Amino acid sequence: MSEKITFKELVELIAKQSQQSQSSANSFIHELVQIIESGLKSSGSVSISGFGKFELRWMNERTGTHPQTGDEITIPGQNKVVFKPYKALREEVNVPFAGLKSRIIREEVDEAIPPASGTAENNGKNETIDDLIIERDNPHFVPPKKQTAETNGNKPVAAKLPDESKLAEEVQKSGNYKWAYAAAVMIALIAFILLFFMMQRDSDTAETPTTVQMEQVTPPIAEETTPADDPDPGIQTEFETQSFTVEPGQSLWTIAENQLGNPYLWPVLYNLNRDLLTNPNQLPAASELDVPSISDPENLNEFEREQVALGYFSLYEWNRENNPEEARYFLWAVGVFSPELLAQPPSEADPDDLAFARNR
Amino acid sequence: MHNAAVIRFFRQIFRLLIETDFTMKYKELIDRLSEKTGHPKVKTREMLEDTVQVISEHLSQGKGVSVPDLGTFGTKVNTEKKVYNPHYEAFLMVPPKRTVEFNPSSKLKEEVKYLEQTDE
Repeated sequence: MSEKITFKELVELIAKQSQQSQSSANSFIHELVQIIESGLKSSGSVSISGFGKFELRWMNERTGTHPQTGDEITIPGQNKVVFKPYKALREEVNVPFAGLKSRIIREEVDEAIPPASGTAENNGKNETIDDLIIERDNPHFVPPKKQTAETNGNKPVAAKLPDESKLAEEVQKSGNYKWAYAAAVMIALIAFILLFFMMQRDSDTAETPTTVQMEQVTPPIAEETTPADDPDPGIQTEFETQSFTVEPGQSLWTIAENQLGNPYLWPVLYNLNRDLLTNPNQLPAASELDVPSISDPENLNEFEREQVALGYFSLYEWNRENNPEEARYFLWAVGVFSPELLAQPPSEADPDDLAFARNR
Repeated sequence: MHNAAVIRFFRQIFRLLIETDFTMKYKELIDRLSEKTGHPKVKTREMLEDTVQVISEHLSQGKGVSVPDLGTFGTKVNTEKKVYNPHYEAFLMVPPKRTVEFNPSSKLKEEVKYLEQTDE
Protein backbone atom coordinates (compact mmCIF):
# COMPACT_ATOMS: atom_id res chain seq x y z
CA MET A 1 0.00 0.00 0.00
CA SER A 2 3.03 2.21 -0.12
CA GLU A 3 2.36 3.27 -3.66
CA LYS A 4 -0.97 3.94 -5.17
CA ILE A 5 -1.68 4.21 -8.83
CA THR A 6 -3.94 7.00 -9.99
CA PHE A 7 -6.90 6.56 -12.23
CA LYS A 8 -5.15 8.38 -15.06
CA GLU A 9 -2.23 5.98 -15.01
CA LEU A 10 -4.59 3.04 -14.83
CA VAL A 11 -6.47 4.25 -17.89
CA GLU A 12 -3.21 4.73 -19.79
CA LEU A 13 -2.05 1.24 -18.92
CA ILE A 14 -5.32 -0.36 -19.90
CA ALA A 15 -5.42 1.56 -23.16
CA LYS A 16 -1.89 0.41 -23.91
CA GLN A 17 -2.60 -3.19 -23.00
CA SER A 18 -5.75 -3.51 -25.06
CA GLN A 19 -4.58 -1.16 -27.84
CA GLN A 20 -7.48 1.22 -27.44
CA SER A 21 -7.74 4.95 -27.24
CA GLN A 22 -7.58 6.40 -23.77
CA SER A 23 -11.03 7.89 -24.01
CA SER A 24 -12.60 4.53 -24.81
CA ALA A 25 -10.69 2.89 -21.95
CA ASN A 26 -11.90 5.67 -19.68
CA SER A 27 -15.53 5.29 -20.66
CA PHE A 28 -15.17 1.52 -20.45
CA ILE A 29 -14.14 1.68 -16.81
CA HIS A 30 -16.87 4.15 -15.97
CA GLU A 31 -19.47 1.86 -17.53
CA LEU A 32 -17.96 -1.10 -15.69
CA VAL A 33 -18.23 0.70 -12.38
CA GLN A 34 -21.82 1.68 -13.08
CA ILE A 35 -22.75 -1.87 -14.01
CA ILE A 36 -21.10 -3.25 -10.89
CA GLU A 37 -23.08 -0.75 -8.84
CA SER A 38 -26.39 -1.60 -10.49
CA GLY A 39 -25.60 -5.31 -10.25
CA LEU A 40 -24.98 -4.95 -6.53
CA LYS A 41 -28.30 -3.18 -6.18
CA SER A 42 -30.32 -5.67 -8.21
CA SER A 43 -28.82 -9.02 -7.30
CA GLY A 44 -26.59 -8.34 -4.32
CA SER A 45 -23.38 -9.64 -5.83
CA VAL A 46 -21.30 -9.27 -8.99
CA SER A 47 -18.69 -11.77 -10.04
CA ILE A 48 -15.74 -10.99 -12.30
CA SER A 49 -13.98 -14.08 -13.54
CA GLY A 50 -10.32 -14.37 -12.58
CA PHE A 51 -10.62 -11.39 -10.26
CA GLY A 52 -13.17 -11.60 -7.51
CA LYS A 53 -16.69 -11.12 -6.35
CA PHE A 54 -18.32 -7.97 -5.03
CA GLU A 55 -20.97 -8.71 -2.45
CA LEU A 56 -23.38 -6.91 -0.20
CA ARG A 57 -23.34 -7.94 3.42
CA TRP A 58 -26.08 -6.90 5.80
CA MET A 59 -24.78 -5.64 9.13
CA ASN A 60 -27.32 -5.84 11.93
CA GLU A 61 -28.19 -2.93 14.13
CA ARG A 62 -25.88 -2.62 17.11
CA THR A 63 -24.76 -0.22 19.79
CA GLY A 64 -21.53 1.67 19.70
CA THR A 65 -19.99 4.69 21.32
CA HIS A 66 -19.65 8.08 19.78
CA PRO A 67 -15.96 8.60 19.05
CA GLN A 68 -15.85 12.15 20.42
CA THR A 69 -18.50 12.44 23.10
CA GLY A 70 -18.32 8.82 24.27
CA ASP A 71 -22.13 8.59 24.33
CA GLU A 72 -23.81 5.36 23.52
CA ILE A 73 -25.49 5.38 20.14
CA THR A 74 -27.26 2.72 18.11
CA ILE A 75 -25.82 2.10 14.70
CA PRO A 76 -28.70 1.13 12.39
CA GLY A 77 -28.42 -1.99 10.26
CA GLN A 78 -26.84 -1.31 6.91
CA ASN A 79 -25.24 -2.93 3.90
CA LYS A 80 -21.52 -3.18 3.51
CA VAL A 81 -19.71 -3.82 0.24
CA VAL A 82 -17.31 -6.74 0.50
CA PHE A 83 -14.81 -7.85 -2.11
CA LYS A 84 -13.79 -11.50 -2.15
CA PRO A 85 -10.74 -12.15 -4.32
CA TYR A 86 -10.74 -15.38 -6.29
CA LYS A 87 -8.00 -17.95 -6.09
CA ALA A 88 -5.96 -16.68 -9.05
CA LEU A 89 -5.77 -13.18 -7.60
CA ARG A 90 -5.12 -14.43 -4.08
CA GLU A 91 -2.21 -16.54 -5.27
CA GLU A 92 -0.78 -13.78 -7.39
CA VAL A 93 -0.88 -11.33 -4.50
CA ASN A 94 0.57 -13.84 -2.08
CA VAL A 95 3.60 -14.56 -4.29
CA PRO A 96 6.21 -13.27 -1.76
CA PHE A 97 4.95 -15.75 0.83
CA ALA A 98 3.94 -18.54 -1.52
CA GLY A 99 4.92 -22.05 -0.51
CA LEU A 100 4.95 -21.33 3.21
CA LYS A 101 2.94 -23.75 5.24
CA SER A 102 1.77 -23.62 8.81
CA ARG A 103 3.75 -25.89 11.05
CA ILE A 104 2.78 -27.59 14.26
CA ILE A 105 4.56 -26.66 17.45
CA ARG A 106 4.10 -29.58 19.79
CA GLU A 107 6.77 -29.11 22.43
CA GLU A 108 5.93 -25.56 23.31
CA VAL A 109 2.27 -26.28 23.88
CA ASP A 110 2.26 -25.87 27.64
CA GLU A 111 4.69 -22.99 27.77
CA ALA A 112 3.19 -21.24 24.82
CA ILE A 113 -0.34 -20.95 26.11
CA PRO A 114 -0.04 -17.56 27.83
CA PRO A 115 1.82 -15.72 25.03
CA ALA A 116 -0.30 -17.33 22.35
CA SER A 117 -3.55 -16.36 24.01
CA GLY A 118 -2.05 -12.92 24.48
CA THR A 119 -1.38 -12.57 20.79
CA ALA A 120 -4.79 -13.90 20.04
CA GLU A 121 -6.29 -11.24 22.26
CA ASN A 122 -4.20 -8.62 20.59
CA ASN A 123 -5.37 -9.76 17.21
CA GLY A 124 -8.92 -9.70 18.46
CA LYS A 125 -8.41 -6.18 19.73
CA ASN A 126 -6.95 -5.06 16.45
CA GLU A 127 -9.88 -6.50 14.60
CA THR A 128 -12.43 -4.87 16.84
CA ILE A 129 -10.60 -1.59 16.56
CA ASP A 130 -10.66 -1.89 12.79
CA ASP A 131 -14.34 -2.67 12.94
CA LEU A 132 -14.96 0.30 15.17
CA ILE A 133 -13.13 2.58 12.80
CA ILE A 134 -15.28 1.38 9.96
CA GLU A 135 -18.39 1.71 12.02
CA ARG A 136 -17.55 5.15 13.13
CA ASP A 137 -17.60 6.40 9.59
CA ASN A 138 -21.27 5.73 9.45
CA PRO A 139 -22.72 7.57 12.46
CA HIS A 140 -21.45 10.78 10.93
CA PHE A 141 -23.75 10.22 8.07
CA VAL A 142 -26.66 8.88 10.05
CA PRO A 143 -27.42 11.29 12.87
CA PRO A 144 -28.01 14.31 10.62
CA LYS A 145 -30.81 12.45 8.90
CA LYS A 146 -32.41 11.68 12.22
CA GLN A 147 -32.11 15.28 13.34
CA THR A 148 -33.75 16.59 10.20
CA ALA A 149 -36.52 14.10 10.66
CA GLU A 150 -37.08 15.20 14.22
CA THR A 151 -37.05 18.87 13.34
CA ASN A 152 -39.74 18.17 10.78
CA GLY A 153 -41.82 16.89 13.65
CA ASN A 154 -42.27 13.50 12.02
CA LYS A 155 -41.04 10.10 12.99
CA PRO A 156 -37.79 9.16 11.29
CA VAL A 157 -39.57 6.32 9.55
CA ALA A 158 -41.95 8.70 7.87
CA ALA A 159 -39.10 10.80 6.55
CA LYS A 160 -37.57 7.77 4.91
CA LEU A 161 -40.78 6.49 3.44
CA PRO A 162 -40.44 7.64 -0.19
CA ASP A 163 -37.04 5.95 -0.43
CA GLU A 164 -38.45 2.81 1.05
CA SER A 165 -41.35 2.60 -1.37
CA LYS A 166 -38.91 2.83 -4.26
CA LEU A 167 -36.76 0.23 -2.63
CA ALA A 168 -39.75 -1.97 -2.02
CA GLU A 169 -40.54 -1.86 -5.72
CA GLU A 170 -37.02 -2.87 -6.55
CA VAL A 171 -37.10 -5.62 -4.02
CA GLN A 172 -40.37 -6.85 -5.42
CA LYS A 173 -38.95 -6.82 -8.92
CA SER A 174 -35.92 -8.77 -7.87
CA GLY A 175 -38.24 -11.06 -5.93
CA ASN A 176 -40.20 -11.77 -9.11
CA TYR A 177 -37.03 -12.73 -10.89
CA LYS A 178 -36.15 -15.01 -8.04
CA TRP A 179 -39.55 -16.69 -8.21
CA ALA A 180 -39.13 -17.23 -11.92
CA TYR A 181 -35.84 -18.93 -11.23
CA ALA A 182 -37.40 -20.99 -8.45
CA ALA A 183 -40.26 -22.08 -10.74
CA ALA A 184 -37.79 -23.19 -13.40
CA VAL A 185 -35.86 -25.15 -10.83
CA MET A 186 -39.04 -26.79 -9.58
CA ILE A 187 -40.05 -27.85 -13.09
CA ALA A 188 -36.61 -29.31 -13.67
CA LEU A 189 -36.93 -31.09 -10.34
CA ILE A 190 -40.26 -32.65 -11.28
CA ALA A 191 -38.84 -33.76 -14.61
CA PHE A 192 -35.91 -35.31 -12.81
CA ILE A 193 -38.14 -37.15 -10.40
CA LEU A 194 -40.28 -38.52 -13.24
CA LEU A 195 -37.18 -39.67 -15.10
CA PHE A 196 -35.85 -41.25 -11.97
CA PHE A 197 -39.03 -43.20 -11.32
CA MET A 198 -39.19 -44.32 -14.95
CA MET A 199 -35.69 -45.67 -14.66
CA GLN A 200 -36.50 -47.34 -11.40
CA ARG A 201 -39.56 -49.00 -12.93
CA ASP A 202 -37.42 -50.24 -15.80
CA SER A 203 -34.96 -51.81 -13.43
CA ASP A 204 -37.84 -53.33 -11.45
CA THR A 205 -39.31 -54.95 -14.54
CA ALA A 206 -35.86 -56.21 -15.41
CA GLU A 207 -35.54 -57.75 -11.99
CA THR A 208 -38.94 -59.42 -11.76
CA PRO A 209 -38.45 -62.20 -14.36
CA THR A 210 -35.54 -63.66 -12.42
CA THR A 211 -37.56 -63.78 -9.22
CA VAL A 212 -40.41 -65.42 -11.12
CA GLN A 213 -38.00 -68.03 -12.37
CA MET A 214 -36.78 -68.63 -8.87
CA GLU A 215 -40.30 -69.17 -7.68
CA GLN A 216 -41.04 -71.49 -10.57
CA VAL A 217 -37.99 -73.54 -9.93
CA THR A 218 -38.19 -73.97 -6.20
CA PRO A 219 -41.76 -75.27 -5.80
CA PRO A 220 -41.26 -78.44 -7.95
CA ILE A 221 -38.41 -79.50 -5.69
CA ALA A 222 -40.64 -79.05 -2.69
CA GLU A 223 -43.36 -81.09 -4.40
CA GLU A 224 -40.91 -83.83 -5.27
CA THR A 225 -39.60 -84.02 -1.77
CA THR A 226 -43.00 -84.12 -0.06
CA PRO A 227 -44.38 -87.36 -1.53
CA ALA A 228 -41.24 -89.34 -0.81
CA ASP A 229 -39.93 -88.00 2.45
CA ASP A 230 -37.69 -90.90 3.33
CA PRO A 231 -35.79 -91.73 0.14
CA ASP A 232 -34.93 -88.16 -0.78
CA PRO A 233 -33.02 -87.27 2.37
CA GLY A 234 -31.42 -90.68 2.03
CA ILE A 235 -30.04 -89.74 -1.36
CA GLN A 236 -29.18 -86.27 -0.33
CA THR A 237 -27.08 -87.12 2.70
CA GLU A 238 -24.17 -87.68 0.34
CA PHE A 239 -23.10 -86.20 -2.95
CA GLU A 240 -22.74 -88.35 -6.00
CA THR A 241 -19.07 -87.84 -6.52
CA GLN A 242 -16.75 -88.40 -9.41
CA SER A 243 -13.01 -88.50 -9.21
CA PHE A 244 -11.10 -85.75 -10.91
CA THR A 245 -7.37 -85.54 -11.50
CA VAL A 246 -5.87 -82.13 -10.89
CA GLU A 247 -3.76 -80.73 -13.66
CA PRO A 248 -0.90 -78.30 -13.07
CA GLY A 249 -2.09 -74.70 -12.83
CA GLN A 250 -5.53 -75.54 -11.57
CA SER A 251 -6.98 -74.31 -8.31
CA LEU A 252 -10.08 -75.23 -6.35
CA TRP A 253 -11.62 -72.03 -7.64
CA THR A 254 -11.12 -72.93 -11.34
CA ILE A 255 -12.21 -76.52 -10.78
CA ALA A 256 -15.37 -75.34 -9.10
CA GLU A 257 -15.95 -72.95 -12.00
CA ASN A 258 -15.48 -75.63 -14.66
CA GLN A 259 -16.97 -78.69 -12.97
CA LEU A 260 -19.64 -77.22 -10.71
CA GLY A 261 -20.53 -74.16 -12.74
CA ASN A 262 -20.00 -71.61 -9.98
CA PRO A 263 -16.58 -70.71 -8.60
CA TYR A 264 -18.07 -69.66 -5.27
CA LEU A 265 -18.92 -73.30 -4.55
CA TRP A 266 -15.25 -74.27 -4.17
CA PRO A 267 -15.48 -74.75 -0.38
CA VAL A 268 -17.54 -77.89 -1.11
CA LEU A 269 -14.50 -79.36 -2.82
CA TYR A 270 -12.33 -78.46 0.13
CA ASN A 271 -14.78 -79.97 2.60
CA LEU A 272 -15.08 -83.21 0.64
CA ASN A 273 -11.33 -83.61 0.23
CA ARG A 274 -10.09 -82.47 3.58
CA ASP A 275 -8.03 -85.61 4.04
CA LEU A 276 -6.04 -84.66 0.93
CA LEU A 277 -5.83 -80.91 1.44
CA THR A 278 -4.09 -79.50 4.46
CA ASN A 279 -4.06 -75.99 3.05
CA PRO A 280 -7.03 -74.86 0.94
CA ASN A 281 -4.79 -72.45 -0.94
CA GLN A 282 -2.38 -75.15 -2.08
CA LEU A 283 -3.51 -77.90 -4.40
CA PRO A 284 -0.98 -80.59 -5.27
CA ALA A 285 -1.01 -81.48 -8.97
CA ALA A 286 -2.14 -84.95 -10.07
CA SER A 287 -4.06 -85.51 -6.84
CA GLU A 288 -7.42 -87.27 -7.15
CA LEU A 289 -10.28 -85.10 -5.95
CA ASP A 290 -13.87 -86.13 -5.28
CA VAL A 291 -16.03 -83.73 -7.24
CA PRO A 292 -19.76 -83.70 -6.45
CA SER A 293 -22.38 -83.31 -9.15
CA ILE A 294 -24.52 -80.29 -8.64
CA SER A 295 -27.62 -80.14 -10.82
CA ASP A 296 -28.22 -76.41 -10.97
CA PRO A 297 -25.45 -74.18 -9.63
CA GLU A 298 -27.73 -71.12 -9.76
CA ASN A 299 -30.45 -72.67 -7.59
CA LEU A 300 -28.98 -74.91 -4.95
CA ASN A 301 -31.26 -77.17 -2.94
CA GLU A 302 -31.13 -77.19 0.82
CA PHE A 303 -28.66 -80.01 1.14
CA GLU A 304 -26.23 -78.41 -1.30
CA ARG A 305 -26.56 -75.08 0.44
CA GLU A 306 -25.77 -76.68 3.75
CA GLN A 307 -22.75 -78.45 2.27
CA VAL A 308 -21.41 -75.20 0.82
CA ALA A 309 -21.99 -73.49 4.13
CA LEU A 310 -20.18 -76.32 5.93
CA GLY A 311 -17.33 -75.92 3.48
CA TYR A 312 -17.13 -72.22 4.27
CA PHE A 313 -17.25 -73.04 7.96
CA SER A 314 -14.30 -75.42 7.70
CA LEU A 315 -12.49 -72.71 5.77
CA TYR A 316 -13.34 -70.33 8.59
CA GLU A 317 -11.80 -72.72 11.08
CA TRP A 318 -8.69 -73.10 8.97
CA ASN A 319 -8.35 -69.35 8.51
CA ARG A 320 -8.89 -68.68 12.19
CA GLU A 321 -5.70 -70.57 12.85
CA ASN A 322 -3.67 -69.39 9.92
CA ASN A 323 -5.15 -66.08 8.78
CA PRO A 324 -7.17 -64.69 11.68
CA GLU A 325 -7.76 -61.26 10.14
CA GLU A 326 -9.79 -62.52 7.20
CA ALA A 327 -11.47 -65.47 8.93
CA ARG A 328 -14.65 -63.58 9.74
CA TYR A 329 -15.44 -63.08 6.04
CA PHE A 330 -15.68 -66.85 5.64
CA LEU A 331 -18.04 -66.96 8.58
CA TRP A 332 -20.12 -64.31 6.88
CA ALA A 333 -20.21 -66.47 3.72
CA VAL A 334 -21.58 -69.30 5.86
CA GLY A 335 -24.56 -67.09 6.67
CA VAL A 336 -25.04 -66.22 3.02
CA PHE A 337 -25.54 -69.86 2.05
CA SER A 338 -27.22 -71.12 5.19
CA PRO A 339 -28.45 -68.70 7.85
CA GLU A 340 -29.57 -71.68 9.97
CA LEU A 341 -26.01 -72.95 10.15
CA LEU A 342 -24.79 -69.52 11.18
CA ALA A 343 -27.45 -69.43 13.90
CA GLN A 344 -26.23 -72.76 15.25
CA PRO A 345 -22.55 -73.16 14.34
CA PRO A 346 -21.39 -76.83 14.30
CA SER A 347 -18.44 -76.00 16.52
CA GLU A 348 -17.29 -73.03 18.49
CA ALA A 349 -16.80 -69.75 16.71
CA ASP A 350 -15.34 -66.52 17.95
CA PRO A 351 -18.20 -64.37 19.32
CA ASP A 352 -16.80 -61.23 17.67
CA ASP A 353 -16.68 -62.96 14.29
CA LEU A 354 -20.20 -64.27 14.80
CA ALA A 355 -21.49 -60.81 15.59
CA PHE A 356 -19.76 -59.46 12.48
CA ALA A 357 -21.16 -62.22 10.27
CA ARG A 358 -24.69 -61.83 11.61
CA ASN A 359 -24.85 -58.07 11.41
CA ARG A 360 -23.21 -57.56 8.09
CA MET B 1 -29.05 -49.54 -2.40
CA HIS B 2 -31.93 -47.82 -4.09
CA ASN B 3 -32.86 -45.98 -0.92
CA ALA B 4 -29.36 -44.61 -0.47
CA ALA B 5 -29.35 -43.42 -4.08
CA VAL B 6 -32.72 -41.73 -3.66
CA ILE B 7 -31.64 -39.97 -0.49
CA ARG B 8 -28.43 -38.77 -2.07
CA PHE B 9 -30.36 -37.56 -5.12
CA PHE B 10 -32.80 -35.50 -3.12
CA ARG B 11 -30.09 -34.12 -0.89
CA GLN B 12 -28.29 -32.85 -3.94
CA ILE B 13 -31.43 -31.23 -5.28
CA PHE B 14 -32.07 -29.53 -1.95
CA ARG B 15 -28.53 -28.30 -1.82
CA LEU B 16 -28.97 -26.89 -5.30
CA LEU B 17 -32.19 -25.16 -4.28
CA ILE B 18 -30.71 -23.65 -1.17
CA GLU B 19 -27.40 -22.62 -2.63
CA THR B 20 -28.75 -21.14 -5.83
CA ASP B 21 -27.56 -17.60 -5.62
CA PHE B 22 -28.58 -14.87 -7.95
CA THR B 23 -25.14 -13.47 -8.52
CA MET B 24 -24.66 -11.37 -11.57
CA LYS B 25 -22.50 -13.69 -13.57
CA TYR B 26 -19.50 -12.84 -15.68
CA LYS B 27 -21.43 -13.46 -18.89
CA GLU B 28 -24.26 -11.17 -17.91
CA LEU B 29 -21.75 -8.51 -16.96
CA ILE B 30 -20.12 -8.71 -20.38
CA ASP B 31 -23.48 -8.65 -22.12
CA ARG B 32 -24.49 -5.49 -20.34
CA LEU B 33 -21.09 -3.88 -20.84
CA SER B 34 -21.08 -4.49 -24.57
CA GLU B 35 -24.61 -3.11 -24.76
CA LYS B 36 -23.58 0.10 -23.05
CA THR B 37 -20.21 0.67 -24.72
CA GLY B 38 -21.34 -0.51 -28.15
CA HIS B 39 -18.30 -2.76 -28.57
CA PRO B 40 -18.79 -6.35 -29.70
CA LYS B 41 -18.84 -8.91 -26.90
CA VAL B 42 -15.50 -10.49 -27.76
CA LYS B 43 -13.78 -7.14 -27.60
CA THR B 44 -15.51 -6.23 -24.37
CA ARG B 45 -14.37 -9.48 -22.85
CA GLU B 46 -10.79 -8.84 -23.90
CA MET B 47 -10.89 -5.35 -22.47
CA LEU B 48 -12.29 -6.60 -19.18
CA GLU B 49 -9.60 -9.26 -19.02
CA ASP B 50 -6.94 -6.62 -19.70
CA THR B 51 -8.36 -4.42 -16.96
CA VAL B 52 -8.31 -7.29 -14.51
CA GLN B 53 -4.77 -8.15 -15.56
CA VAL B 54 -3.48 -4.62 -15.09
CA ILE B 55 -5.09 -4.31 -11.68
CA SER B 56 -3.90 -7.68 -10.45
CA GLU B 57 -0.38 -7.06 -11.76
CA HIS B 58 -0.17 -3.92 -9.69
CA LEU B 59 -1.60 -5.65 -6.68
CA SER B 60 0.96 -8.42 -6.99
CA GLN B 61 3.68 -5.76 -6.89
CA GLY B 62 2.16 -4.48 -3.69
CA LYS B 63 0.78 -1.30 -5.25
CA GLY B 64 -2.68 0.00 -4.63
CA VAL B 65 -5.16 0.80 -7.39
CA SER B 66 -7.97 3.27 -6.98
CA VAL B 67 -10.96 3.26 -9.27
CA PRO B 68 -13.20 6.31 -9.00
CA ASP B 69 -16.73 5.69 -7.71
CA LEU B 70 -15.91 2.03 -7.03
CA GLY B 71 -13.19 2.10 -4.41
CA THR B 72 -9.58 1.33 -3.73
CA PHE B 73 -7.86 -2.00 -4.05
CA GLY B 74 -4.81 -2.51 -1.92
CA THR B 75 -2.74 -5.19 -0.29
CA LYS B 76 -2.23 -5.99 3.34
CA VAL B 77 0.32 -8.27 4.95
CA ASN B 78 -0.92 -10.46 7.76
CA THR B 79 2.04 -11.18 10.00
CA GLU B 80 2.98 -14.64 11.17
CA LYS B 81 0.91 -15.75 14.12
CA LYS B 82 0.32 -18.59 16.50
CA VAL B 83 -3.05 -20.28 16.43
CA TYR B 84 -4.42 -23.14 18.48
CA ASN B 85 -5.76 -25.97 16.37
CA PRO B 86 -8.14 -28.24 18.31
CA HIS B 87 -7.80 -31.03 15.73
CA TYR B 88 -4.07 -31.48 16.24
CA GLU B 89 -4.37 -30.37 19.87
CA ALA B 90 -1.35 -28.21 19.28
CA PHE B 91 -0.39 -24.71 18.28
CA LEU B 92 0.19 -23.95 14.67
CA MET B 93 2.54 -21.34 13.31
CA VAL B 94 0.57 -19.73 10.51
CA PRO B 95 2.89 -18.16 7.94
CA PRO B 96 2.59 -14.52 6.89
CA LYS B 97 0.21 -13.83 4.04
CA ARG B 98 -0.46 -10.95 1.74
CA THR B 99 -4.11 -10.42 0.96
CA VAL B 100 -6.23 -8.09 -1.12
CA GLU B 101 -8.05 -5.29 0.59
CA PHE B 102 -10.94 -3.42 -0.90
CA ASN B 103 -12.25 -0.15 0.42
CA PRO B 104 -15.48 0.85 -1.29
CA SER B 105 -15.76 4.50 -2.21
CA SER B 106 -18.01 6.62 -0.07
CA LYS B 107 -20.38 7.06 -3.00
CA LEU B 108 -20.83 3.32 -3.44
CA LYS B 109 -21.25 2.86 0.30
CA GLU B 110 -24.01 5.43 0.45
CA GLU B 111 -25.75 4.09 -2.65
CA VAL B 112 -26.00 0.61 -1.24
CA LYS B 113 -26.34 1.26 2.47
CA TYR B 114 -30.09 1.00 3.04
CA LEU B 115 -31.02 -1.20 0.11
CA GLU B 116 -32.62 -4.16 1.86
CA GLN B 117 -33.61 -2.46 5.05
CA THR B 118 -37.21 -3.42 4.32
CA ASP B 119 -36.23 -7.06 4.72
CA GLU B 120 -35.70 -6.73 8.44
